[in-house]
Amino acid sequence: MFSRPEIIIEARDLAYTYYSGEDADSSPALSGINLAVYRGEYVALIGPNGSGKTTLLKLFNALLAPTDGEVRVEGISTVEEENIPRIRRTCGMIFQNPDNQLVATTVEEDIAFGLENLALPSAEIRQKVGDVARLLGLEDLLQQPPHLLSGGEKQRVAIAGVLAMQPGCILMDEPTSMLDPAGRRDVIDTVCELNRNRGIAVVHVTHFPEEAVFAGRVIVLNQGRLIRQGPPEEVLTDLSLLHDLGLQGPAAVELAALLREDGFSLQPQLLHRRELVNSLCSLERKS
Amino acid sequence: MFIGTEKLTHTYMPGTPFATEALDEVSFSLKRGEFALIIGPSGSGKSTLVQHLNGLLRPTSGRVFFEGQEISSDKRGLLHLRRRIGLVFQMPEEQFFSESVYAEVAFAPHNLGLDESEIKNRVKDALGKVGLNAEQLQDRHPFQLSAGQKRLVAVAAVLSLNPEVLILDEPTAGLDPAGRRNLFDLLAMLNRDSGLTVIISTHHLDEVAALADRIIVLQHGRLVLEGVAKEILTRRQQLDDLGLALPAVTEILHGLAERGLPVRTDIFTLAGARAEINKLKGRREL
Amino acid sequence: MSSSITLGQYLPGTSPIHQLNPRLKIFTLFLMLVLLFSLKTFGGLIGLFFIAITLIASAKVPFRYFLRGLRPILYIFIFTLVIYLFFTKGGIVLLRIGFITVESEGVREGFFVIIRLITLVLFSLLVTLTTTPLSLTNAMGHFLKPLRYIGLPTEEVAMIMAIALRFIPTLMEESQRLMRAQVSRGADFESGSIFRKAKSLVPLIVPLFISAFRRADELALAMEARGYRIGAKRTRMYEDVIAPGDWVAIAFVLALLATVLAFSL
Repeated sequence: MFSRPEIIIEARDLAYTYYSGEDADSSPALSGINLAVYRGEYVALIGPNGSGKTTLLKLFNALLAPTDGEVRVEGISTVEEENIPRIRRTCGMIFQNPDNQLVATTVEEDIAFGLENLALPSAEIRQKVGDVARLLGLEDLLQQPPHLLSGGEKQRVAIAGVLAMQPGCILMDEPTSMLDPAGRRDVIDTVCELNRNRGIAVVHVTHFPEEAVFAGRVIVLNQGRLIRQGPPEEVLTDLSLLHDLGLQGPAAVELAALLREDGFSLQPQLLHRRELVNSLCSLERKS
Repeated sequence: MFIGTEKLTHTYMPGTPFATEALDEVSFSLKRGEFALIIGPSGSGKSTLVQHLNGLLRPTSGRVFFEGQEISSDKRGLLHLRRRIGLVFQMPEEQFFSESVYAEVAFAPHNLGLDESEIKNRVKDALGKVGLNAEQLQDRHPFQLSAGQKRLVAVAAVLSLNPEVLILDEPTAGLDPAGRRNLFDLLAMLNRDSGLTVIISTHHLDEVAALADRIIVLQHGRLVLEGVAKEILTRRQQLDDLGLALPAVTEILHGLAERGLPVRTDIFTLAGARAEINKLKGRREL
Repeated sequence: MSSSITLGQYLPGTSPIHQLNPRLKIFTLFLMLVLLFSLKTFGGLIGLFFIAITLIASAKVPFRYFLRGLRPILYIFIFTLVIYLFFTKGGIVLLRIGFITVESEGVREGFFVIIRLITLVLFSLLVTLTTTPLSLTNAMGHFLKPLRYIGLPTEEVAMIMAIALRFIPTLMEESQRLMRAQVSRGADFESGSIFRKAKSLVPLIVPLFISAFRRADELALAMEARGYRIGAKRTRMYEDVIAPGDWVAIAFVLALLATVLAFSL
């Protein structure tokens, strides 16, 4: 493939300051952000609390308008009022609290919510809801009220609702932090599959380093600035960077670093558990 | 037994078409001073179980014990029980209603009818136990604190009861990794140094597995595994089937063991894994 | 979850009554109300009462739910009956205790009124037990649509009602959990004077309000992110249809109306 990958979201000199009412002293939540998200990419966005990750996401789907600089989605500026419906269709968002994003009294009506907002004909809505429910294995839950679902199920319903809009990109704000391990796995698996098989771009804000290893690119924010980006095997193995920010690397990376200090010769960009296991085993075999 | 249950069964909304059995003949027993984990997938009945231990919920059948006796069902008895068994709910900072950290932590001793000077001591003590400086923080508005600090204040607000048992339901939900580690270390310290019996209901094994003495595993309201923590944590396949993840470093050790390397798999900390793998080096030059 | 919230709660089912168009059910309920209060003869009233019983049978909802629904108003029935028995005069004297009398007119009117009340409650319960709360609010919203022309935001009010319905179980669970959490900190909501009880509610009310505002904030953001705009045109996934069963019901109701008028019941 020799064509340049297409950009779906682009930020140029993006800055945002929350208006606090008093002048002076409100430091910007984001400043000087220049980045592009490409079609079909899986981007992990990490950083300490207050680094601006959530703010950046909200600027991507026009929930916030830039204080400075610009954001373009499929080439269209997020500032123009008339663009907003299309931008929000292209960039769907999954929030951290599974409960507070489900609007309707049944699963199927909630999946339909976005389509209803587009004023599509009823029959078309019903069909799209059915398709998406089948795709995500939610058919048995369609008549259920949200409060009877588990956290993982609620998040999958939210994903279904976003997917029904046929987005180009899914923005996720720590979607698994309130879920149990099984729920977390379900959500990550679902999103990874949508990314792989349907080419939907994903921007995933997480504070679990283990989740960022699946990304194609990891972006690190700190105090509103973009300080590092690159493939996970470069970024997530840079422990001095992560530790400076109060973050932890994935367990395999942390353990590998300690073992290297002890004299084990492991490859420098070791990222996954199985790589660590393989390396230790081959070291053992060699001797 | 110091605290535990005997064939505890709890049915929500019995007699209606919506009846659900949350607990099915759960029996377990803990000794004074133990650090226990109640683990299981969501919906397994963990929250229901912990709410029985301080008498908030009444059994549909079966019994709950404290200090060898069945817990009372009259109001005075229960109030007395709750001085000795403290329960911290999930996302406890959502219970805040006061304008100062002091008032929030003082709420419990105030409800016990203690006098002002004793309350003051309790607040200072409790905040100290969670690693916070009472003088610095007690006049601040709870909402001005960071997420981690709010959580600690909420735990202090139950510790001010001076309980002998502290039960926590998902105490680290919503915290970042540093906050999680800090809270678990604190609880381990309280358990070690003051003999506080700690019971944690969680599905987050990573930071806490190494600290536990006993583990109780629930699934669909039934007790499926129970015993010494180290032993339970070796049942990797069973835990995986239940949707519970062992600590990442333990998984790595399992990976090595499966490939024939002589490493132990009952290790749950990074430092422990490091030491264990280094033992391989001791045998030959790597 | 309290088991006593059967009053008005929906029970899923596939009976002909369940499948009737919700707007038709509300309109018919309203019609029954009018009919009940314009009936003059006892015979007509008993007739409507038996129609209610027949419809309940065809709805396949166990009768105990209706009994449970009647229970809270039992005292009103008794009280009303007593008033009529002892204070309405006319006809033959049936009982005399000192200067208190119970006369046949009192008995007749008393029973007329309470049977009317019971029948009314039965029809209402029939509707609420066989129609989802959301369908009911949407149907009512539909009837209120004309108010849009005088500036009332009926679409938005309908959305508000739907969201409120969605969150009622969630908020109930939350408040129960909150109450238990505060009880675990030694709070006592039951004993003491009225003043003390009111004061003890602060640790319940403040956190619930704060949580409600936070939910509202997050939900509003999520709705916006999914393309919701106030005032914009929206369609619905399910639109009310008129099925053959509805035409039968309409025919039946019209026949009933005609009978009542024709025979001056």
